[in-house]
Amino acid sequence: MTRPETASVKGRQAQAERLRAVWDNPSGWRYWTSVNNFQIGLWYGSAAFAFMLFAGVLALLMRMQLALPENNFLSADLFNQAFTLHGTVMMFLFAVPIFEAIAIFLLPPMLGARELPFPRLSAFGFWSFLIGGVFVCGSIFFNAAPSSGWFMYPPLATDKDFSGIGADIWLLGLSFIEIASIAAAIEIIVGVMKCRAPGMRINMMPLFAWYLLIVAGMILFAFPPLIAGDLLFEMQRMFDWPFFDAQRGGDPLLWQHLFWIFGHPEVYIIFLPAIALMAMIVPTFAQRPIVGYSWIVLAAVGTGFLSFGLWVHHMFTTGLPQISLAFFSAASEAVAIPTGVQIFVFIATMLAGKVILSVPMLFGTGGIAIFVIGGLTGVMVALAPFDWQAHDTYFIVAHLHYVLIGGMLFPVIAGIYYYYPLVDARKLSDHLGRLAFWQMFIGFNVAFFPMHLAGLRGMPRRVFTYPADIGWHWLNLISTVGAFIFAAGVLVVVIDVLRPKHHAPRGETNPWNAGTLEWISEPEENWGVRSIPIITSRYPLWDQKNLASEINEGRFYLPDAQEGYRETLVTSVLDAEPLQCLRVGGTSYVTIVSAASLGAVFIALTFHWWITALICGVVTCAAIIYWLWTGTAEIPEKPRKDVGLGLILPLYVSGPSSVGWWAMFITMVGDGTAFASLVFGYFFYWTIHDDFTAGLAGPGSFWPMVALALFLAAWLALLTARTLNDRGQPFAMRLSLMAALFLTAGGSAAGFMGPWSHAMAPTAHIYPAIVWILVIWMLAHAAVGLMMQVYCLARSLTGRLTDEYDMDLRNVVLYWHFLSITAVVTFAVIGLFPLAI
Amino acid sequence: MRADCRASVDGGIVPFMRHRNAHRLGGFAVPALLPSCLAGCSGIQSALEPAGEEAASVFNLFWFMFSGGAIIWLGVVALVMYASRARQNPHSERASGLLILWGGAIFPSAVLALLLGFTFWLMPGIRPWTALADAPQLRIEVVGEQFWWRVTYFPGDGSDAVVSANEIRLPVGQRVEFTLKSNDVIHSFWIPSLGGKMDMIPGRTNRLSLLATKPGIFRGPCAEYCGTSHALMAFSVVAMEPMAFGKWLSRCAKSSENVAAAGSDAFLANGCGACHTIKGTEATGVIGPDLSHVGSRRTLGAGILPNNEATIARFITEPDRIKPGVQMPAFGMLPHQDIETIAAYLKGLK
Amino acid sequence: MRFVPKQIESLWTLFTAPVVWAVHFLASYLSAAVFCAKQEQLAFGFDMLRLAIATFTSVALAMIVLSAWLAWRQWGFGAHDPPHDDPTGHDRRLFQGFATLLLSGLSFVAVIYVAMPLLFVTECWR
Repeated sequence: MTRPETASVKGRQAQAERLRAVWDNPSGWRYWTSVNNFQIGLWYGSAAFAFMLFAGVLALLMRMQLALPENNFLSADLFNQAFTLHGTVMMFLFAVPIFEAIAIFLLPPMLGARELPFPRLSAFGFWSFLIGGVFVCGSIFFNAAPSSGWFMYPPLATDKDFSGIGADIWLLGLSFIEIASIAAAIEIIVGVMKCRAPGMRINMMPLFAWYLLIVAGMILFAFPPLIAGDLLFEMQRMFDWPFFDAQRGGDPLLWQHLFWIFGHPEVYIIFLPAIALMAMIVPTFAQRPIVGYSWIVLAAVGTGFLSFGLWVHHMFTTGLPQISLAFFSAASEAVAIPTGVQIFVFIATMLAGKVILSVPMLFGTGGIAIFVIGGLTGVMVALAPFDWQAHDTYFIVAHLHYVLIGGMLFPVIAGIYYYYPLVDARKLSDHLGRLAFWQMFIGFNVAFFPMHLAGLRGMPRRVFTYPADIGWHWLNLISTVGAFIFAAGVLVVVIDVLRPKHHAPRGETNPWNAGTLEWISEPEENWGVRSIPIITSRYPLWDQKNLASEINEGRFYLPDAQEGYRETLVTSVLDAEPLQCLRVGGTSYVTIVSAASLGAVFIALTFHWWITALICGVVTCAAIIYWLWTGTAEIPEKPRKDVGLGLILPLYVSGPSSVGWWAMFITMVGDGTAFASLVFGYFFYWTIHDDFTAGLAGPGSFWPMVALALFLAAWLALLTARTLNDRGQPFAMRLSLMAALFLTAGGSAAGFMGPWSHAMAPTAHIYPAIVWILVIWMLAHAAVGLMMQVYCLARSLTGRLTDEYDMDLRNVVLYWHFLSITAVVTFAVIGLFPLAI
Repeated sequence: MRADCRASVDGGIVPFMRHRNAHRLGGFAVPALLPSCLAGCSGIQSALEPAGEEAASVFNLFWFMFSGGAIIWLGVVALVMYASRARQNPHSERASGLLILWGGAIFPSAVLALLLGFTFWLMPGIRPWTALADAPQLRIEVVGEQFWWRVTYFPGDGSDAVVSANEIRLPVGQRVEFTLKSNDVIHSFWIPSLGGKMDMIPGRTNRLSLLATKPGIFRGPCAEYCGTSHALMAFSVVAMEPMAFGKWLSRCAKSSENVAAAGSDAFLANGCGACHTIKGTEATGVIGPDLSHVGSRRTLGAGILPNNEATIARFITEPDRIKPGVQMPAFGMLPHQDIETIAAYLKGLK
Repeated sequence: MRFVPKQIESLWTLFTAPVVWAVHFLASYLSAAVFCAKQEQLAFGFDMLRLAIATFTSVALAMIVLSAWLAWRQWGFGAHDPPHDDPTGHDRRLFQGFATLLLSGLSFVAVIYVAMPLLFVTECWR
C-alpha cells in the first residue's frame, strides 16, 4: 500500500523532532515525574519482580525450617509471618501487578496507539502500588508483619489478642493497592476498547488485548467485594463493630465469602494474562497465525465468567449444605473446559506450523507440562469428597504452585525473554536462558511434586514444624533441595537481565520476526509509534508490506505534534473507525503527590493517627481536584484538527463516545459491585438468624423514605441542569445545580437521621452495624456527588464548562445515575425490608 | 483388662516433641528410608491408608482419578513434544482445528460430566446426616480451643456425658456423630484415616459423621490455621472394638481411683483447679483441658509429647516454650519438688 | 426472528450466553442457600426447590439455544470457515457469530453441569 507524500524528507525530520520533544521524558530527578507508558510499565514491572524475589526469599526461609522435622531455624511466629507475607506478596504485589505492568508497557504499541487514554492514572496506580507494597513488605523487618495467613480469616485476624498491627497493615496497605489495580483495569478496558489503530476491528485485535480486556473486566467485579470486606473488617478492628463476631450476631463466614469471591477469580486474573503472553509467543515461533483465534476468545470470555462461580470450593469444609457444594463443584469442573481449549489451541498452532524451540518456547511448553498437572489436580480437588481430605493440606500447596508457576511464572519468564529486546534492543542470553529453564523446571518438580504425597499423608498447610516419625521427613527434605535448585534458576534469570549489555551491539528491531505491531517500536523512542497506521491484518508485520518503514517515515496518522500536545486516536469499539483526536496528560508531579498523600492516609489510619490521616485526606482531595481542574476536559484552541491523510477529527468529545465517560462508567460498575457486596452482607445476616434484628430498633421507614425522595429529587434537578445546559441557558443551569446541591445535603441529613434518631448502636449487634454501614456508604457517595456538583458549578462560572464543552457535567450525571440506584437500594433495604419479614 | 482407662489396643503413635531442639540442619539419614516408604508406609495420619468408610471411598476415588490423570498428562505432554519438533510439512489448519474441538472441548466435557455425576452420586452416601438423626447413637462433641480439643461423649443410651480432652476414642463399625464447635478462632477437625475434615467455626455448630472400619490408633491434626501454634495442635484417635469401648467409656464416667493420692494437695494448693477439672476433687476449672484421666491418655499437650512424668513436669514448667502462644501460664517458679509431685499425681490419674 | 436484526452491531451479544449461565447459577445457588437456611419457616419442601431450579434450568437452556441459533445464523449457518480475519465488516460479523456460537456451547454445557446435582442431592444435607 503506498501513501501519498505528505511531507518532504526534511519536513518529516522536523515533524519527528517536534513529536520527540513532546513525548520526551524530563531529566534529572524529574525523570520520576514521567507518566509515559514505557517508563511506568518498566518501573511497575521491576518493582513487582523485586517483590517477587523478596517473597521468594521468604519461601526459601520456610523451606529451610521445614527441611527437617522439629527444626528450630525460624520461630513459630516468624514462620507464620513469613508464609502470610509470602502469599500476600506473591498474589497482590507480584502476580496481578506484573500484568498491569506488562499491559501498560505493551498495549499502546501493540494496538498502534501512542499511549493509553489516562497516562497519569497509570502513574498514580504505580506510585500507589509502590508505597503500599513497601509498607506491607517492610513490616517484617519490624517483626510486625501480618501473621494470620494471606486469607486473614476472622476471628483470628480480627481479634487484637491474636493478631497485632500486622493485620491492620495488611488490610490498609492492600486496600490501597487494590485501588491501584482498579485504576489499571479502567485504563486497560478503555485503552483496548477505544484506542486501537484505525482498521483494527475486534476480529483483528491481538489476542493479548482480548485477554487483557477480559481480565480487566474481571478485576472490576472481583476486587470490589474484597474492598467491601476490608471495610467491614477494618470497622471491626478499629471501632469494634461486630461484623464477624459470632457473639453479637456476626459471622466469620461472611468474610470467607467476600474474600473468595475475590480470591478465586484472582487466580484467573493471574493466569489469563500469562496465557495471553503465550498466545503472542506461540504464533511467532510456530511461524504462522494462531489456529483457533475464536476459540481463544471463547476460552478467555468463558473463563472470565465461570471463574466467578467457584468461590465456595475454598469453603467445602465449612459445613454448607451439600447442594451448595455441588453447584460450586459443577462450576469448578466446567471451568476446566475453556482452560483445556487454550492448551489445545497452542498445540494445534504448533502442529500447523514450523516450530523453533527458542528459550521463550522452552519456558512456554515447560510451563504447559507443569500447568497441566496443576489443572488435573484442580479437577480432583474441585470434587467435594476429595477436597474434604485434601483441603488445607500440602496437596493443595502442590496444586496451587503447579497452577501458578506453570500457568503464570513460566509464561512470564518466557515473556521476559521474548520481549526483552523491546526494553533494551538486545536479546537475553540463549545459553543462560536454557540453563535457567532446566534448573527451574527440574527444581520445581523436585520441590513440589513430593508435596502431593505429603499432603495425602496428612501434612496440613501452614505448619511451622512437624513430628519426626509420621512419614513426612524425607518428602520435606527433597522439597527443600528442589526449592533451592529452582531458586538458582530464578537467580540465573535475574543475572541475565541485570548483567550490563552495553558492549554488545544493538540488535535489529523485531529480532524474532514476529507479526504483531509492538515489534516496530524502538526502545529509544517514547512515542510508541511514529505514526498511527491503518491495520488490515491480525499479523500486520507479516501481511502488510512495508508497514514498518511507512509508519517510521510518518506516512500515517498523527505524524506531527504542531500544537505541542501528546495526542492519540480514539476509535470505535467494533470496527475501529477514527472518532476523535485525544489529548492525553503529560509529565506531572500531581500523580506522585496524590499517591503519596493517599498512601499517608492509609498508613496514618493503621497507627490510628487520626489528625494526620485527616490532614493527608484533605491534601489528597486538593491534589485530585487540582489534577482534574488543570488536566481534564480542557477546552481545545480549535474544535477540530487534521490528523493526516485528509482526516479531520474533533478534539473534544463528551458523553458516551468519550473516554472519560467510559472511565466513569467502568469505575461506577466496580463501585456498584462493592456496594452489592455490602447488600449481600445484609441479606446474609438475615439468612443465618431467625430474627437478625435481635429485637433491636431499626431506622424506621419515615427517614429512609424522605432521604430517598430527596436524593431522587437531586438527581432530577441534575438532569434538568444538563438539559438546560444543552439548551444554552447557563444561568438556569446553575440555579438547577444549586437546587441539586441543597437537595443532596438534605437527603444526606435525612439518611443520617434514620439510624441516628432510633439510637442504633453499631457496636451492640450486627443489625445496627450493617444498617449503619449501608448508610455510611450512601452518605460518603453523596458527599462525593456533592463535590462534583460544586465542581461543575465552579467550572461553569469560570467558563470551563459550556453548552458545547460539557464533558464534566455529563460525567457527573452518569455518576448520579449510579448514585440514585444506590439510594433506591439502600433506603428500600433498610427502610422497607424489615417491614416485609 | 486393667481397671483403668487405658486403651486395649496399642502401637503406632510416637509423639514427637521428644526430639525438639535436637535437630538442626544437618546429620540426617534419608536414602535408606526411601525404597521402603515408597511402597506405602503412610503412618497414622494418612489418607492413603484408610480405616474408615469415607476415607476408603475417597481413597478409591483418588486412585481412579490419579490413574486417569496420569494417562491424560502423558498424552498431552507427548503431543506437546511431538508438536515442538521441527518439521518440513506442517499439519493442515483444518486438522489442527479439529484437534481443538475434540481434544480441547468435547473430550474434557464428556469426561468431566461423568466424573461429576459419579461424585454427586457418591456425596450424599459418604456424609449422611439427617437419615441418622433418629437412631440412638454415640455423639461426640469436640470444641476447638487454641491449641487443644475439648471432647465430650454423649452416649446414645442416655447415660451421663463424659468429658475428656485431646484424645478421641470410638467404636469400630458404628457410626459416630461429631458435633464440632469452636470457642475462639476457626479450627478444623480432621482424622485422615477415617474421613475428610470439617471446620469448627465460632457461632456455628457443624456436624460430621464417621464410621471406623478397622481398630487402630490414628492421629488427627488441626487443619485450619488457628494461630501461632497451629502446628502443635493434634489429637490421638483410638478406634476400639465396641465392647471394649463401652467398658472404657463407663470407666471414664467415674473418677480415677487415684484422685486422693499424694499430689492432690499440691495440685489444689497451687491453684491448678482454677482452670482444670479433676473429677472427684475440688478442681472444677473449665478454662483448660479436663485432667480427670490424663494419665491414661496416649499423648500430652494435644498430641505433641509422649505422656510420662518427665514431660508432664516439663509442660508445667515451660508450656510457653513447648507451645508458643499457649494460654497456660508457666509454673517454673514452683519448687522443683512440687512440680514433680504434681506430675506424678497426674500421671497416676488413669 | 424478524425482531432481532440479522447483523448484530454490538459487542455485548457475545456475552449473552455466559450471562445467562451466571444468572442461572446465582439463582440456583441463592434459592438453595436461602431455602436451606430458612427451611423451617417455609411451607414447601426440597422437591419444590428442585422443581424451581429445574424450571430455571429449562429457561436458561432455552435462552442459550436461542442465542446459539442467532449466532449460527450470523455465522452463515457454517457456510464460512474460520479464521475470519479479513479486514471487512463482513468477516468481523462472522467472527462475532462464530465466537458467540462457541460461547453458547460452553454455557450450555456449564448450565447442565450446574443442574446435575438436582438429580442426586435430595435434602439440605450438610
